[in-house]
Amino acid sequence: MLRIDRVLGSRLEPEFSEELHRLEHQGAVDVVTVPAADLARRRLLIATRNGEELAIALPRNEKLFDGAVLLLEDDRAIVVRAATERWLRLEPRSISDAVELGYQVGNLHWRVRFGGEVLLVALEGRPEDYTARIENLIAARRVAVTVLDEETVDALAPADSVSTAIAHDHPHDDH
Amino acid sequence: MLHNPRPIDDDVGAQVGAARVGIGGPVGSGKTALIEALIPVLQRRGIDFAVVTNDLVTKEDAERLRRSGLIDPARVSAVEAGACPHTVIREDPTLNIAAGDELEMRFPRLELILFESGGDNLASTFSLDLVDWWIFVIDVAGGDDIPRKRGPGLLRCDLLVVNKIDLAPHVGVDLDRMLVEARKVRDGQPVIATNLKTCTGVEAVADAISAAVLFRI
Repeated sequence: MLRIDRVLGSRLEPEFSEELHRLEHQGAVDVVTVPAADLARRRLLIATRNGEELAIALPRNEKLFDGAVLLLEDDRAIVVRAATERWLRLEPRSISDAVELGYQVGNLHWRVRFGGEVLLVALEGRPEDYTARIENLIAARRVAVTVLDEETVDALAPADSVSTAIAHDHPHDDH
Repeated sequence: MLHNPRPIDDDVGAQVGAARVGIGGPVGSGKTALIEALIPVLQRRGIDFAVVTNDLVTKEDAERLRRSGLIDPARVSAVEAGACPHTVIREDPTLNIAAGDELEMRFPRLELILFESGGDNLASTFSLDLVDWWIFVIDVAGGDDIPRKRGPGLLRCDLLVVNKIDLAPHVGVDLDRMLVEARKVRDGQPVIATNLKTCTGVEAVADAISAAVLFRI
């Protein structure tokens, strides 16, 4: 198990890119693919593509990101690849359907992007666990559902439109 | 340029701060009891730890732990949410982050901080800005239909603890079925059954924490 206790930098930085390019030609750049939901973790046990187990423990002011360089030696390197995030594309059929959908998504605290007339919900679990919560809207054909990958979503909605719905009118009677 | 790895048994805590673990779940499910049961186990394992409790408008849970005699009272900090408990572990965890930072300053060798949320509903989840890994505690007396309700807390936590298993026959709960359903809705993610009155399952919870964030496997 290899311990990683800091991010050295981004593979795009000139300080790293040339050396990584050299190592890539030698097949010596190992990749660790981190699920999108785990990128925010400071501590993580995860294996690289070549099977090396990493014990990642970062300072609280650091985060993993796509292209983060975790190890750079003369003969090898390890770089983070962010796994493609999947999204639910929810398309309400009318303004009243949109209002109700927004209300429910707010109560569910889902992470969303706004894509014009569609709402995009980040999937941090199985799609069916999400659609089950708005089944009444889907079954009545008031909201259409599609699962999208990251690239498609980027084309639909700018990354800075990400928001976490925080409305919560649901009962908190057991506080 | 060389960035040599260090061996795994180096002092992680001193380099990057303490690991932070959240414990959430409904009122009365056994969150404070879990911490009380974990304290001697963590102490026996030589883990340097502290606790941050969250209550609505009091410091009740912190006082309970401080009076327990199990832990140095200075190692227990309290956060008063003043609102829905999830607001200070998810939407704006600043108060809890500050409490953790303050404990790390007072105890520089800390390896682990446990953050106990105030009792909340099944939608309660932790921000990964606050914790590295989190546990959700439910109990059989709350009903064996809890897993089927697929609350975000139950689905997204890193470890689900099903507590008070000794009460199952007294409240008409089929424990085996409840555990099977819990594992099914969690897609194979870990579930541990506990009876904290007899410390059943507590070592397994400590093992899970140690492996996930302290890398002691």
